[in-house]
Amino acid sequence: MSYTNEQVAHLVEGSLDWETTFRMLSMPKDNSRFEQYVAALQAKVSFKDRIVLPLAPHMYIVQSAKTKQWLIKCDCGHEFCDYKENWKLHAAIYVRDTEEAMTEVYPKLMAPDTQWQVYREYYCPTCGTLHDVEAPTPWYPVIHDFEPDIEAFYKEWVHLPVPERVD
Amino acid sequence: MQSQQSNVQVMGIDAGGTMTDTFFVRADGRFVVGKAQSNPGDESLAIYNSSVDALAHWDREVDDVYPELVTCVYSGTAMLNRILMRKGLDVGLICNRGFEQIHSMGRALQSYLGYALEDRIHLNTHRYDEPLVPVSRTRGVTERTDVQGKIVIPLREHEVIQATRELVEAGSQAIVICLLQSHKNELSEQRARDLVKAELTRLKVDIPVFASVDYYPSRKESHRMNTTILEAYGAEPSRQTLKKVSDRFKKHGAKFDLRVMATHGGTISWKAKELARTIVSGPIGGVIGSKLLGEYLGDENIACSDIGGTSFDVALITKGSFAIKSDPDMARLVLSLPLVAMDSVGAGAGSFVRLDPYSKSIKLGPDSAGYRVGTCWPESGLDTVSVSDCHVVLGYLNPNNFLGGAIKLDVQRARDHIKAQIADPLGLSVEDAAAGVIELLDLTLSEYLRANISAKGYNPAEFTCFSYGGAGPVHTYGYTEGVGFKDVVVPAWAAGFSAFGCACADFEYRYDKSVDLGVAQFASDEQKAAACTTLQEAWEELATKVIDEFVINGYQPEDVLLIPGYKMQYMGQLNDLEIVSPVTRAATAADWQQIIESFENTYGRVYANSARSPELGFSVTGAILRGMVVTQKPVLPEDADAGPTPPKEAYLGTRPFYRHKKWVEAALWKMESLKAGNHIVGPAIIESDATTFVVPDGFETTIDKHRLFHLKEVK
Repeated sequence: MSYTNEQVAHLVEGSLDWETTFRMLSMPKDNSRFEQYVAALQAKVSFKDRIVLPLAPHMYIVQSAKTKQWLIKCDCGHEFCDYKENWKLHAAIYVRDTEEAMTEVYPKLMAPDTQWQVYREYYCPTCGTLHDVEAPTPWYPVIHDFEPDIEAFYKEWVHLPVPERVD
Repeated sequence: MQSQQSNVQVMGIDAGGTMTDTFFVRADGRFVVGKAQSNPGDESLAIYNSSVDALAHWDREVDDVYPELVTCVYSGTAMLNRILMRKGLDVGLICNRGFEQIHSMGRALQSYLGYALEDRIHLNTHRYDEPLVPVSRTRGVTERTDVQGKIVIPLREHEVIQATRELVEAGSQAIVICLLQSHKNELSEQRARDLVKAELTRLKVDIPVFASVDYYPSRKESHRMNTTILEAYGAEPSRQTLKKVSDRFKKHGAKFDLRVMATHGGTISWKAKELARTIVSGPIGGVIGSKLLGEYLGDENIACSDIGGTSFDVALITKGSFAIKSDPDMARLVLSLPLVAMDSVGAGAGSFVRLDPYSKSIKLGPDSAGYRVGTCWPESGLDTVSVSDCHVVLGYLNPNNFLGGAIKLDVQRARDHIKAQIADPLGLSVEDAAAGVIELLDLTLSEYLRANISAKGYNPAEFTCFSYGGAGPVHTYGYTEGVGFKDVVVPAWAAGFSAFGCACADFEYRYDKSVDLGVAQFASDEQKAAACTTLQEAWEELATKVIDEFVINGYQPEDVLLIPGYKMQYMGQLNDLEIVSPVTRAATAADWQQIIESFENTYGRVYANSARSPELGFSVTGAILRGMVVTQKPVLPEDADAGPTPPKEAYLGTRPFYRHKKWVEAALWKMESLKAGNHIVGPAIIESDATTFVVPDGFETTIDKHRLFHLKEVK
């Protein structure tokens, strides 16, 4: 089973018809999907750097067009850091740790007690996109979500040459 | 062509999504099948074309035959499609305040109804369909009746009036009223209905009002609400479709009154009040037809198997009657309609065949090529192998006579696709890969069939298997081999069997009502008589509805044969059984005794005598009333025995046929030319325009006087 680039672009946009979406969900994954998916993402961003791996709906690991370094980058072009670092430490952070701040997002009495749990929101310093929200206990260190083994992913999972990288 | 001395009496119609089949039967039992492409815009035209096609076999004209017909039954998917495509009326809904979102949320299981098991357990695929009535056209009114039927909060009448005004304002074309527990106590809902009607009159708005108690007074709130909404949403437009069909018949001189196949296994008039129950009808026809054939052959226990392009449907007839399911799901909605019980598995003759890229196992379906057949039909635009491709490659199907030669199949194209997609990755020859697919399908179907019989506690040796559907006879040997049926029967008209079955159905209305009765084993005579009174009241209420329906069609109440029934279970058990009542009126303790005896006998037959538990006491959960009038049914042909040797003109030559790792030459026979009594030993293929009957080596078949093939394994 394979899909056209147009269908995959609709998938990325969330505008793919349900019948096709359902088939995608219930059939084994098609071989070329990753390539098509990344191409659809690449067509949406304005920067020249090559997308190596999508990290979040608006965030990618890219290969810098100038230096070939792998960087974590926002949709808008804002560069956070090297791909091995925790990008959250380079984001604008808003912590909801008072009842007042909580009632902005949840009705009173339906939000957590901030003595026990807080929300930490991570924004892009340039465009203000909310990339991630953590809901930890107040003292908990910033979580480093995951460190993908990109080399193994390219070689062993999707059978594609690993993009060049200069550290 | 045969002479025209015999009148054409009966017509059956199966208007499917792709093809519209018609089936005509003469008084002498001779029949013809006609096919035409369906026409969703005007079904009546497709039926006309299909009739022309059928009657051409007899050199007769529609204008000349329609006036002769005594009876005609329609079954079709138009109503179902209207629901699936969400093309019904803009319905307004009045429910209890606080429950306005219930219909939109639906039952959780509606999010995966109709899915294959793999998808059902894969949460990401679950999805809620658009509701039939949006929240914007739903109004809640303050009222509450508790589970015992006691009115706890009386209906706030001014809210009903306000709701009516708002729903009219919002553009409602019909209003549905469904209040909680109205099956237990109908007063609040009836009051609301009267208020809505009065307000509509005052507003001078002429739109229909549907109260759930008037239509489907059954427990289970979602089911009742869905069904009543369905009635308002889809039935009126369907009635227009049926009227169009009826009008065209009249134009061509028809004198009969068109009837429609309904889910309970009877047929009802297109003028009937409740049309929601015509939502599914095609597959039911086959079960009704099997029942009639069983009566001819003296078989009480029948396994009905229908294999089409996408699915395999199984229904059991035991002791001459089929089971009824009272809360089925259709069009991804839970409903409270009586439906002939059937089980389906999503594997059919057109199922796609794929290799799992990781395990390299062959996977059939769940999707299928449908009318596009497979890659063997170059115009199909398909590039995924289907089961039909395997059949073509192995010589089961004649590439030049598919659907009577209407489309030409390309064997090489199918070979190439099977080679690339299945054979090469598995390191097999094309033949072995294709044969493996067929074997897998046959095994899947035969296991399913066997499981369906033994899971219900029966032994296949007590059953005759009927095999029909366009693709049925190709697979019959495969899915019946080794199951050990008493007999295996393939009707010569397998492809038009559903249409035939519809024509066999009684003109019968059936109404159901939930009742709650609990009586201990050794209850007093007064208690037993009281229970009888409650049951009798329910029957009388239903009798009025049934007779009203027949009166619409010009029958007198005394023409109607009323058959009361009930649903009963041991108190505290979960499943009830449907019983035809041994008494026509229930009044005394003695009547009650007969009622429970009849239940206990059935229980002992369905489960085991030793499982009977009268010490628990008895519950009646529902009252049923069926009413019918006499109609003309198809008669089966009665041919003289022409001996075991088939006539020369039936022989068409041979074709290479692959099975069990070798090619053999299978004899080809023309189905229409075979005579009663003819005996054919496999390997042989019996062809007609609409179907292909495969008799491989190790099997033999005899055609009987009714043009039924009996398939046997040669020991």
